[in-house]
Order: sequence, then C-alpha cells, then structure tokens
Amino acid sequence: MYILALDTALTACSVAVLNLETDSVVAGDSVFMERGHAEALVPMVEQVLRDARLHFSDFDRIAVTVGPGSFTGLRVGISAARGFALVAGKPAVGVTTLAALATPFLAFDDSLPVLAAIDARHGHVFMQMFGTGGRTLIAPRIASTKEAARAAAMGGVRLVGSGAGLVADAWPPGEQAPVSCETLAAPDIAWIARLGAAADPATAEPKPLYLRPPDAKPQDRARIARV
Amino acid sequence: MADLLVLGIETTCDETAAAVVARAPSGAGHVISNVVRSQVEEHSPYGGVVPEIAARAHVEVLDIVIAEAMRQAGIGFSDLSGIAAAAGPGLIGGVIVGLTTAKALALAADRPLIAVNHLEAHALTARLTDGVAFPYLLLLVSGGHTQLLAVEDVGRYRRIGTTIDDAVGEAFDKVAKMLSLPYPGGPEVESQALRGDPERFAFPRPLFGRREPDFSLSGLKTAVRVEADRLAPLTDTDVADLCASFQASVVDVICDRVRAGARQFRDIAGCGPTALVVAGGVGANIAIRLALQKTAAEIGTRIAVPPPALCTDNGAMIAWAGAERLARGLTDTLTISPRARWPLDPSATGAKA
Ligand SMILES: Nc1ncnc2c1ncn2[C@@H]1O[C@H](COP(=O)(O)OP(=O)(O)OP(=O)(O)O)[C@@H](O)[C@H]1O
Ligand SMILES: [Mg+2]
Repeated sequence: MYILALDTALTACSVAVLNLETDSVVAGDSVFMERGHAEALVPMVEQVLRDARLHFSDFDRIAVTVGPGSFTGLRVGISAARGFALVAGKPAVGVTTLAALATPFLAFDDSLPVLAAIDARHGHVFMQMFGTGGRTLIAPRIASTKEAARAAAMGGVRLVGSGAGLVADAWPPGEQAPVSCETLAAPDIAWIARLGAAADPATAEPKPLYLRPPDAKPQDRARIARV
Repeated sequence: MADLLVLGIETTCDETAAAVVARAPSGAGHVISNVVRSQVEEHSPYGGVVPEIAARAHVEVLDIVIAEAMRQAGIGFSDLSGIAAAAGPGLIGGVIVGLTTAKALALAADRPLIAVNHLEAHALTARLTDGVAFPYLLLLVSGGHTQLLAVEDVGRYRRIGTTIDDAVGEAFDKVAKMLSLPYPGGPEVESQALRGDPERFAFPRPLFGRREPDFSLSGLKTAVRVEADRLAPLTDTDVADLCASFQASVVDVICDRVRAGARQFRDIAGCGPTALVVAGGVGANIAIRLALQKTAAEIGTRIAVPPPALCTDNGAMIAWAGAERLARGLTDTLTISPRARWPLDPSATGAKA
C-alpha cells in the first residue's frame, strides 16, 4: 500500500510517497517556495516517483492539501491530484492544512489542545482548535489574531503554524500563556500522507477550503434608466 | 502514419472545456468529442467575468469535464498522442488550473504535453473546420482581442493591426450593460439589433478609411452612451434602435479595417490570402459574418468562419492547435509557466496580449 502526497497550499512545495505497511517515506522532496508551485510541482512528482521506483498504478490513493492557504497554491495541488487520480483510476483525498499542522502534536500528546493558526494576512489567521483524540473544539474559520487568541485562551494550549506567533502576541493579558508556540511555515508532508490514508474518500473530497469569499462586487453603475 | 489523437483543455476565461480531436497525416482534422461547461451563471450577477470566481469554478469541474470528453470519445488516456492545454493568455487563476491538470495527465499517462497559446488556437481553428491553407488573413474578434494577423504557418503569426482601445466583443458587452441587457451582451445586442432601425442614429465610424489597419471602439461606445443618456428613460424601441445603429457602425468599421488589412497582407506576404478567416466569439454575429462575406469577395478571397461553437472558447480548438504543433514535433516540458499575457506576434509593438 502506497500513498502519494502533495502540498502546495502554503509556502512550500512538497511531495512524498509513503509506504503504509512500514509507515515510512519511500521518497520525497520539500522546498520552501512562495510562488512558482505551478512550475515546480509536477516535475517534483516525476523525480520523487523515479527515486521511489514506483508508478501511478502502484498508489492506492493520492492525498492533497485543500487549504486553507494561498488560493492559487491550493488550486495547483488539487488540480494535479485530480489529474493524477483521473488517469490512475484511484481516489484523490483532501487533507486540510490545519489538520496536517496539528496532528503531529496530537499524536505525540493529545491531553493538551492544539490551535493550528495560519497567517491569512491583514491581522487575520485561518484557525482550528483540536482537543483529545483530535476532536475539533473550534471549527476551521478565519479570525483576527485577537479573536483567535481570545477563543483559544484556555488552559495549556499549544500553538502551531505560520500564524502561531501572531496569535501568541495577541494573547489576552491575565490568561495562562500558551505552553508552546511552533511557527511552522507548512505541514510535514509525511503527516499529510498519513491523514490522507486515514481519510474517507466519500467525505474528504479534494475540493478547496478557502474560508474566504471571492473578492467580487456586483457591478451596477454605468446603466442608463429604462422605461 | 496513424492519426494523432489529442486531448485539449481550455480554462483561460469563463468556460471550462475539454475535447478530443484527431489529425490525419494529410492535415485533415475532426472533432471526436467537445465538452464545454459555461460559467455564465456564476458571473452574471457581477455583469462580467470575476477572475477569482472563474478560478474557483474551473478547479471544481475540470476533471469531470475531461472525464466526460474522454467518455464521449470512447478512448482511454493511453490512446492519446498528446495532451494540450491553453497556457495563456487569459485569467491566470484559471490558466494555472488547466495547465497544471494537463501536466498531471501528461506525466501520469506518459504522453507529451503541448502548451498552446489560446490565440493561436483561435487562429488555427479554420484549418480544422475548413481545411484552410497558409497563408491566410485572420480577423480575431473576441471579448479580449481585436486583431488582424497574417497567419503564415503554425507558430508564424504577424500582426497587421490591433485595437488601440476596446476589443469589439468588449464594446458589445459594454453597450449591453449600459442598456441593462443581460450578460453576456454580444448575442443580446445582436438580437435587439434585428428589431431596430440601423439608421436612426448616425454613430461615428472610428478610423474608417485610414491606411493602417487598426481599430478603435471606445469613441463609438461613448457615442452610444451620450445618445442613450439624452433619450433616457429608454423605451424598448430606443434600445433596439441604439443596438441596430451601434452594430451597423461596427460592421462598417470591421469591413473597412479588413480591406486595409488585406492591402498590408499583400505587402508582407507577397501574395493574397488563401482565405479571410474570422475567429473569436464575435464571429458568431450574423450581420458581421454576412458583411465580411462581401468584403472577402471584394479582396479576392473566400471567407472561412468556424461554426459558433468553435468560435467561442472551447477545448476542440486547443486540441487542434496541440495536434498541429505535435505534428511538427513541438512539445513542451512539465516546467512550463502559465502566462497571463502572451502575444502571438511578440515583435508587434504595444501588443495588448
Ligand atoms: N452574436 C454576437 N455578436 C457580437 N458579439 C458577440 C456575439 N456572440 C458573442 N459575442 C462576444 O464575443 C465575446 C466572447 O467571445 P470569446 O469567448 O471568443 O472571447 P473571450 O474568450 O472572452 O476573449 P479572449 O478570447 O480574447 O480572451 C464576448 O465579448 C461576446 O459579447
Ligand atoms: Mg477566447
């Protein structure tokens, strides 16, 4: 059982092949990248497959991050995953960046909650709070760093993600400070593969999770009155 | 040698499209399947294409559209000779979705990738539908482009003229919008024009009679606005007459500019064009088609206008351009970039796209 995992939703371009029986990464690559995912991703997959000596027909499924993240970046990953899936005749499954960031911490110790926070610019973060057994305590949403900190300020929280430091800086005075703050730019690709392997293809669809409406205003000016 | 079978993907604007096209060694082509999913409904509340909404819609449905095109063609990915996608010019968010999907298909199916210029696809469609030989005079009239080009070969395009402001389709759309006609405006203006009086308003014919075969539409659009403002509130007859008079002016201008273009063509190519080819969505306009038929006869050539379904954005034209390139050994690597701007004739100055 092999799984191919892709991530271009944040500031990395990452590809890995995970052997599910041995829980080991057979081959993989990850490069810090702010733009250029559309050029880099598919050649990186080609190279990783060559390193792994595997072909698309060897995969049980393809896992891809669906966001939240850069709209363009997540569409690159999803387009590629759905294209590979179409030819291979295997399912593509979506994994959220928030779950992929939080899960390694929960796997290590799930007695303390984890807040995954991704910098969404303009003083906002994409956030989700996880508790025991990976249960969602606060559903994925976009919030100001202040709102995020206020919502997350319960005992012994761990923060992770590119927005972790921003949330920590906005922590309400008098509340117990976060026990850890890990400013990670992008999730670990091996965990994306593991989450993809565990996901139910019927519900974990490879569809974007934007958390932000498109920037568009209806255009009504420039019309001339009619009888 | 067997036929080339190419899958084509189009996502540069507001249609998500995929098609399979065959090209025989003789150069003859035919469309095997052609699936288009329009986003008109998503954009119509905004009165125009919203880039982020377009990109979101493309990524939701592209794989489904491709699967349907393959199903209708009754073939598998291993039967394809190549996979083509429009790599620009256009709205970059959509182009990224189409090109990335094509790269993934090409890698997984182990087939060559062909990155097609969307304008080149419009330019070559008449070879698929009408078997037109090189060199020919191309009038490209769409929502984003208004150009006259000498098409000398696959990959050899020389721009003879272009609009200095609005594209013709854009002018149709803007006139429709100011008259509160539904989006997209071109077909609406045309159907209004059928019921109106083309002589009620004497709108300007910008650049008419000039030697340089360029276009200008914005003054005409403004003239329509001034007249409409003067008449407001507009009756149904006013709207029909404004549309008819506007379209009459566009028809006159286009025919005059094509005549000027044909003279330049002779200077450049040393011979007359084998055909006057009309491409782009405005080519669906019957009044423009009929008038250009006469113009073609005047300049001593025939007219070739692909059917409306192949004039507006579609996957078949991308597949066909891909097949034409593939037949000449022109393929691309998986690192190729999507392009928002990509002029067909890069040497042309001030190329709008
Ligand atoms: N019957 C018609 N009469 C006039 N204009 C029309 C007609 N039908 C469509 N159009 C115009 O054609 C344009 C759409 O054509 P097309 O899809 O080729 O352009 P586009 O893809 O928007 O632009 P481009 O190809 O330059 O990026 C619109 O501006 C539309 O109003
Ligand atoms: Mg077009």
